[in-house]
Amino acid sequence: MTPATVNPPLLEVRAASIQFGGLKALTGFNLEIRQGDLKGLIGPNGAGKTTAFNVLTGVYRPTSGDVFVAGQRVNGKLPHQINRLGLARTFQNIRLFKQLSAVDNVKVACLADSRPLVSAERVAALRRRGSALARLGQMLDATNNYYDWWRALLLTPGFLREEEAVTRRADELLEVMGLAHRRDEEAASLPYGEQRRLEIARALGTRPRVLLLDEPAAGMNTREKSDLMVLIRKLRDQFSLGLLVIEHDMKLVMGICEQITVLDHGETIAYGTPEAVRADPKVVEAYLGEAQPAAAAGASR
Amino acid sequence: MGAASAKTMPYWARGLAPLLGALAVLAMLQWIFGPMHFFVYLSSLVGVNVILAVSLNVVNGMTGQFSIGHAGFMAVGAYLSGLFSLAVKELNIRGLPATLSDQLLLLAAIGVGGVAAAACGFLVGLPSLRLKGDYLAIVTLGFGEIIRVVVQNTETLGGALGLSGIPQRSSFYMVWLWVFVTVLVARRIAGSSHGRSLWAIREDEVAAEAMGVDTTGYKVRSFVVSSFFAGVAGALFAHFVPIINPGSFTFVKSMEVVVMVVAGGLGSTTGAIVAAVCLTLLPEGMRSLFLRLGGEDASLAQKVDQIRMPIYGLLLVLLMLVRPQGLFGTREAWDVLPKWLSRRGPALKGPVA
Ligand SMILES: Nc1ncnc2c1ncn2[C@@H]1O[C@H](COP(=O)(O)OP(=O)(O)O)[C@@H](O)[C@H]1O
Ligand SMILES: [Mg+2]
Repeated sequence: MTPATVNPPLLEVRAASIQFGGLKALTGFNLEIRQGDLKGLIGPNGAGKTTAFNVLTGVYRPTSGDVFVAGQRVNGKLPHQINRLGLARTFQNIRLFKQLSAVDNVKVACLADSRPLVSAERVAALRRRGSALARLGQMLDATNNYYDWWRALLLTPGFLREEEAVTRRADELLEVMGLAHRRDEEAASLPYGEQRRLEIARALGTRPRVLLLDEPAAGMNTREKSDLMVLIRKLRDQFSLGLLVIEHDMKLVMGICEQITVLDHGETIAYGTPEAVRADPKVVEAYLGEAQPAAAAGASR
Repeated sequence: MGAASAKTMPYWARGLAPLLGALAVLAMLQWIFGPMHFFVYLSSLVGVNVILAVSLNVVNGMTGQFSIGHAGFMAVGAYLSGLFSLAVKELNIRGLPATLSDQLLLLAAIGVGGVAAAACGFLVGLPSLRLKGDYLAIVTLGFGEIIRVVVQNTETLGGALGLSGIPQRSSFYMVWLWVFVTVLVARRIAGSSHGRSLWAIREDEVAAEAMGVDTTGYKVRSFVVSSFFAGVAGALFAHFVPIINPGSFTFVKSMEVVVMVVAGGLGSTTGAIVAAVCLTLLPEGMRSLFLRLGGEDASLAQKVDQIRMPIYGLLLVLLMLVRPQGLFGTREAWDVLPKWLSRRGPALKGPVA
């Protein structure tokens, strides 16, 4: 067996590009994330990092190129469908469910692994067999959803068990992210750093295999940042994740990532180990253009 | 014994226990109030409005979408159930006493009305809820008007004059049973993963979608459920008023329900209930007051009826100024009331260090 079959890529991007009007926000973007990977995505402001995340998670459809999640091509799939395949993310400009409590934020993501009337496998098998059956499959999917409502209305034992399990799991995730003491507080009332951690807890609730973090340390102080670095590594091991981190703080990225992709004006200008990337003249230039002291400090060390 | 038997009860009996309890209580109330005709009529009006407000709250409050055509779905329920009842007016289910047969036929009529309205909800909701933005408001507004115009111009539905002769089979019991069912469904939805998904959609659709919530699916389903109960409300209405005409299901009626939901607090079921009760009794109370003041001259009462909408508008503006989040905000009475009561306590003891 080759190593590739032992640990297949969970997320694969081939030459993905997207254009907004005349603006090429992302050009020929390539990426591969396997379980255990901890990769970084950096670049000056407006380089297209968040756009790359939006393309991967289905918020935008790539103008050209392909995205594969768990071996399936997901171009044109809806974000929730892509999420179900095991790809979760956080948002740069925090998008928590503000009026919900911390635990409810996570519970939304821990959507009960419902026990359907007709199993997903059977529906998928029907779909594979032909067009008329595909329609039937779709209808069965819909009945499953309504079946779920009935279970909630009648408070079936399965439903109650599920609710308990979801609550338990949400509490565990809050614990992992050090937010157990905020359990019942409104998400909007948490301090900034904790909101960022709650975003991660929520993303973990969807049982991802690959997690994309968009500037998870933005707005944190130095101490919170170093704590977060330790935590991110721990998450990778505890949840067997593949991780891709966008981060502005070069020190943080260089410190934890094994491979780094550098974007500038939507183009990948460098890819490699932190040392190689740091020494790359193109990278230095891109960052000097933005005059980012952290980059310069990182490069000179 | 109670606790032990609760454990051994089958799950569906436990799940439906509140409903069974309500049945018993309602039967008693029916026995007491049944002969008081005006009370039955007024409480039926209140009940119908509670059903409308609580069901609209599922869409406008919990899911954060904006529907302004609830009266349209109510009309669908009213007219179709009315036609059904007219068709089976003389029918008597074999082997059953007349009253029981009538009530079963009424239930069937309500089912017809509800399901038809739900189907309309699906047809209206699916295309408009797929799109981002306030398309739902526009489409529901259009739907309400279309239904009204269609009814006005259809001979079999009585046209502008209205449909009369629908058997008056509704009762205090039947209306409040459905009130109870509506509230139970709304609360059970709110307390499940489905309710959380709806809230998530209300809070941030992009984030909800990113967390695996099928936002379109949930929006459509909540809209279908909401339409179903609007249809039920219409069906009940058709069976206790002497005549239904397009005038009962205008945009004004839709706005009335929206006002109830907003006044109660978007997302609060108990708020919707309280607002629906108050805003139904207020104009009715005023009407009877002015009827009394005006003696036999009914014109005063009619005038008051005409300025009902401006009064509603004024109330809404006042409420938005004083309490923009509505009566209970997004919470329920039992979350809010204890806080209101306890806030008074410390304040009396003076400033807290
Ligand atoms: N939906 C959009 N429509 C038009 N332009 C966009 C859109 N999203 C992003 N952009 C543009 O794409 C470029 C990359 O943005 P972004 O990915 O947010 O950068 P960053 O690397 O800082 O995360 C910016 O110039 C931004 O204005
Ligand atoms: Mg960004």
